[in-house]
Amino acid sequence: MSAPADRRGWTPLWFGAPAVLGLGLFVVLPFVMALILTFTDQRLVSPAPGAFVGLRNYDRLLSVSALVQNPVRDGVPVYARVRSVTRTKRAYLGYRPLAGFGLGRRRVTILAKDPAFLKALGNTFAFAVMVVPLQCGVALGLALLVNAGLRGQTVFRAVYFSPVVMSMVIVSVVWAFLFDRDLGLINQALGALSCGLIKPIDWLGNPSTAMPAIVIMSAWQGAGFQMLILLAGLQGISRELYDAARIDGASPWQCFWHITVPGLRHTIGFVLVVTTIAALGLFTQVDVMTGGGPRGATATVMFEAVQHGVREGNIAYGATISVVYFALITILILIQQLMQRRRVGEAA
Amino acid sequence: MRAQYHTVALLLCSGLLAACHAAFVPNDRADLILWKNQAGLDEEAETTSLINRFNASQAKWRVVAQSLPQGGYDQSVVAASLAGRMPCVLAVDSPMVASYAWAGHLRPLDGYVPARTLARVSPATIGAFAGKVYAVGQFDAALALYARRSVLARMHARIPTLDRPWTQAEFQALLERLKASGGYRYPLDLETRDDKASWWTYAFSPMLESFGGDVIDRRTMTSAEGALNGAAAQRFGAWFQGLFAKGLADRQEPDDNAFVDGRAAIVYTGDWWADAYRTSAGNDLLILPPPDFGTGVVIGGGSWQWAISTSCAHPDGAGAFITFMLQDRQIADMSDATGDVPVTEGAAAASRDFGPHGKSRIFYDLMRRFARPRPATPAFPAIATAFTTAMRDIMDGKDVHDALDDATDDIDGTIADHHGYATAGGR
Repeated sequence: MSAPADRRGWTPLWFGAPAVLGLGLFVVLPFVMALILTFTDQRLVSPAPGAFVGLRNYDRLLSVSALVQNPVRDGVPVYARVRSVTRTKRAYLGYRPLAGFGLGRRRVTILAKDPAFLKALGNTFAFAVMVVPLQCGVALGLALLVNAGLRGQTVFRAVYFSPVVMSMVIVSVVWAFLFDRDLGLINQALGALSCGLIKPIDWLGNPSTAMPAIVIMSAWQGAGFQMLILLAGLQGISRELYDAARIDGASPWQCFWHITVPGLRHTIGFVLVVTTIAALGLFTQVDVMTGGGPRGATATVMFEAVQHGVREGNIAYGATISVVYFALITILILIQQLMQRRRVGEAA
Repeated sequence: MRAQYHTVALLLCSGLLAACHAAFVPNDRADLILWKNQAGLDEEAETTSLINRFNASQAKWRVVAQSLPQGGYDQSVVAASLAGRMPCVLAVDSPMVASYAWAGHLRPLDGYVPARTLARVSPATIGAFAGKVYAVGQFDAALALYARRSVLARMHARIPTLDRPWTQAEFQALLERLKASGGYRYPLDLETRDDKASWWTYAFSPMLESFGGDVIDRRTMTSAEGALNGAAAQRFGAWFQGLFAKGLADRQEPDDNAFVDGRAAIVYTGDWWADAYRTSAGNDLLILPPPDFGTGVVIGGGSWQWAISTSCAHPDGAGAFITFMLQDRQIADMSDATGDVPVTEGAAAASRDFGPHGKSRIFYDLMRRFARPRPATPAFPAIATAFTTAMRDIMDGKDVHDALDDATDDIDGTIADHHGYATAGGR
């Protein structure tokens, strides 16, 4: 064994060791421990150590069933109360209604053992689907604006970035005031602008507007960060391309569409991924502004995990939520990577 | 890269800690580490001065206080218990006493705090579990209705007394008259702006109990069936839902000033707001008992309480400290400094505001007559989140029966998972 070969083998490992150690200690190890927890009934406060319970936590989290009912009375059909059935019939014990629809005379109710989690899962993805385009679009607009060579753009750059450095808790409290139905600035502005045509909206108190309200507020808070990244991307595009295009008589729109967007492709891809990851971790705004309400309309997966794992002390169940969520996101990323690879393959 | 810094920071911290430890000069006194929640500057200062007084009063022990932020206090205690590094004396929020006692983190007080001392204390401030006392409060809080005399006179409403509180019908009629008068968009403020489970269980489970329901069947402590989803509970749920559906209460007031600003005519909250309301309403202020919804007035009992950890090496010292804190003079001084309700008759008499003719006497009377502790069961954290989720859903229009059934199933499921908490770890 020669000395240079030995050095080549060990040096990178030595250099990587602190980071690998840190990652292992603070990321991999906790995850493995969480995985083990999911098969137990460990509580935060308990005299007994957690016992092995097999797949019980997963069963409670993911079980789905359906209940088909014939009307107990015809005419205007009347059905037996779903909750009475699920609390008495053996086959449905532990289930709760998630959603329902009519099928001819019959009524079908989708049941789940933890409908709150499935609802939260839907809410989280709905949030991501709404906030990612909005936030990235706003960020791109702002980046173009502060890159346009207007006067005072340094000031505006700082202004647009300032929400990012504010504490999310404080931003949430302030926006909860803004969204207030009777005294909030947003409703007053809408009322004034529409000459009273728009009636006060109970932004955070109505299940159909609560999540959009959080989307708007989150996009406002976060857009400055994406703006900064996009700005760097914009400044990386060669001025010569624009000059050449102008000589060829291209309109500003054509310049944007054929020079700016292609030039930003990688930056936009990065920004989309980062924003999506941040969106899937939505917690603080919900915890401060709505507490998951009204009627679970804004509960997210992270909120559910904290609610069960920490506030109820059921750490095993909280861990199960996190692990399932991790698996779901991993699958999503794998699909995305596969698609990207295929596209690159086609291009080549 | 980030992780590297973590490691370095960790090493630095542990080095510092070791240095601190070495710098600690041992003396003939035994140190008792005490943990408390940060509940406010007044309380902080007063507790510090009481601890100094205790340390000066004897030569055997020295209490060393460490205060932790209230928001994460429970989590800190849980973390300390998991790591086996509990302090000797600690403040525990009363509904958590049973949990910690069951888990074996707390030591029964008998033998350390004289029974004579405990007998003088208001019963609702005793933290008991499985027949043993594990914690005791130096002060308590009390819930009340605040209103303005002039407003009630304008509505021709009777002023309720401790002996004749408002009935549900009277209270409801008054709220509807206030609403109809046009002066109030939402006449009643229930402080539902605070969405924490601690407030919702503290404030609204007593109302449920006044209706004749409860969050758990207290005879068996093993099921909520019937208590939380029975007829009485459903009547309570329907009434509560109606308050919001009829616009008598706002689901989320924009700030805490609904009563001060005159947006609300009546506010349901605790004694800690009395001073602010006195300042704004002056002599017009009325502090009233909550309504009797059928089975008598009920308010929540039990605030922060002192307990001794199992791992405490000097429980007799900890006991001496708690006994000291329960002397009338210390209780009265604490009450004078913070406005908290004193827990003994002697301390109330010695205090500035809670004596027989004191301006805050009503809170002492409310506590003595109507306070009922939250159920002493290790299931309480599950009960609190289940009850709060159900009540918030009911407020927002969910079917009352479904919401209460959901909460009942959550609570009973948790209790069943623990085999009825039969294997108590308390020693």
